[in-house]
Amino acid sequence: MNVHQVLSAAGPVDAVTNQGLAFRRLFSEWGWGGDDVAEIIAPGMPRGAVKPARALRPAAEDVVLLHYSGYTPRLEQLMDVPNPKVLLSHNVTPARYFWPYEPLEGVRCALAPGQLAELARAADVAAGVSHFNAEDLRDFGVADPQVIPVLFDRAKLGAPGPARPPGAPTILFVGRVAPHKRHDLVIRAFAMYRRRHAPDARLVLVGGAMSPAFGRMMRQLVHEVAPGAVDFEAGVSPERLWELYRSAHAFLCLSEHEGFCVPLLEAFHFGVPVIAQPVGGIPEVVGDAALQARADDLAVIAELVHLAVTDDELRAELRRRTGPRLEAFAFERTAQRLREAVTRAAAAR
Amino acid sequence: MTTPEDALQVARAAAEAARAEGGYAEPAFSFSFQSAPRIRDARLMEWAVIEPELAYVGSTRRFGRPITLLKQGLLRLLRQYNDQVVAQQTRFNAHITGHVMSFDDRLDAIERLFGEREEARDRAIESRRREDFFGR
Repeated sequence: MNVHQVLSAAGPVDAVTNQGLAFRRLFSEWGWGGDDVAEIIAPGMPRGAVKPARALRPAAEDVVLLHYSGYTPRLEQLMDVPNPKVLLSHNVTPARYFWPYEPLEGVRCALAPGQLAELARAADVAAGVSHFNAEDLRDFGVADPQVIPVLFDRAKLGAPGPARPPGAPTILFVGRVAPHKRHDLVIRAFAMYRRRHAPDARLVLVGGAMSPAFGRMMRQLVHEVAPGAVDFEAGVSPERLWELYRSAHAFLCLSEHEGFCVPLLEAFHFGVPVIAQPVGGIPEVVGDAALQARADDLAVIAELVHLAVTDDELRAELRRRTGPRLEAFAFERTAQRLREAVTRAAAAR
Repeated sequence: MTTPEDALQVARAAAEAARAEGGYAEPAFSFSFQSAPRIRDARLMEWAVIEPELAYVGSTRRFGRPITLLKQGLLRLLRQYNDQVVAQQTRFNAHITGHVMSFDDRLDAIERLFGEREEARDRAIESRRREDFFGR
């Protein structure tokens, strides 16, 4: 069987692109062929890894798998092929987060639901990476949306970290510096925690900024509330990232919108206690293995961070509870779901 | 031991206790995705007129000089077409900018009118209050 993958855009540090490449490795293991194409290919992509969209030439029985992550011009025409189709929705951020900072991104997010609805209704199998995403598809009129979580390969991450890393308390968050991720809340909650409980604490924020201007705003906020205590890291190697997880005492995620949030599973793998807002796909990912609280009172978040850093029994209990969550998102299990979805689409014609 | 289920309650109690003794006195913050600095009209107009820079067209490859020259040459050859694209986009941007600024003007006028009415209303209330007071 051949499965061709279509990406809105492909980039070397793009999570959806990496997911598509991971799918391709699996397809190869299963003896499936096909090409991966994208409308936009960013510089830095390995040559030939993803082809331009015009290279999409599926044979009659080939399956076309679309990774949907945002509005892309001409996608409807590209997907207007008589082949079996699978659509995997990777989540679209609400446009309202972007209007004041990146209006073009806002336009892209505002146009996305309409395009996604049209493409999802035309797919033989439509799936979201979480039940949260799949519900959007149901709202668009898809009768039986599937869930294919993000492929999470623990084997690549190496050994978990120690029960309590040495050194001053280090709080970590991993995610693109963008408005819906609410780095501003993370910085403020951290500043409050540091002032009250741990003057030597550090916050590490890993991820590139959505725009230089937005990055500067976050740095300005750090300058105001926690000068010298926050490190911004972008473009880090996987090895460096794993090291940052191993040296973290807590993972603080105050995002207001997440479709899945892989870093939560990474934190689980490395044994880092997680504090997160129960929004979007986060509750179904973390289950009972994280401390969940709304960020409407940052003093409470600061106290939760303090508990997660200092209460060894709580840390141990949270760590124990990550086992079933990691099992729920085990690589083989997700791979099986993917295989079933593709096979089902192929059989639908 | 604090269980994960109890942790939120414990944290709330600790935050409350801290506040009772003067802790967590940070001022309420207003940063949110709604309160970004507004793009000024002048900047909007500046952005509306797009002017792609030929000097930025090039190759990042190690020996990319010939590719750079080729790309820039092609752009020169296609200038008529590109100028059309730029002109159409600029026309659209300029109209949108014009709309936004006319909305801004109307909003300013409405706010001014509203402010004047509020002031007049306050003056009328104050005047009635005085009349009541002195009349009584």
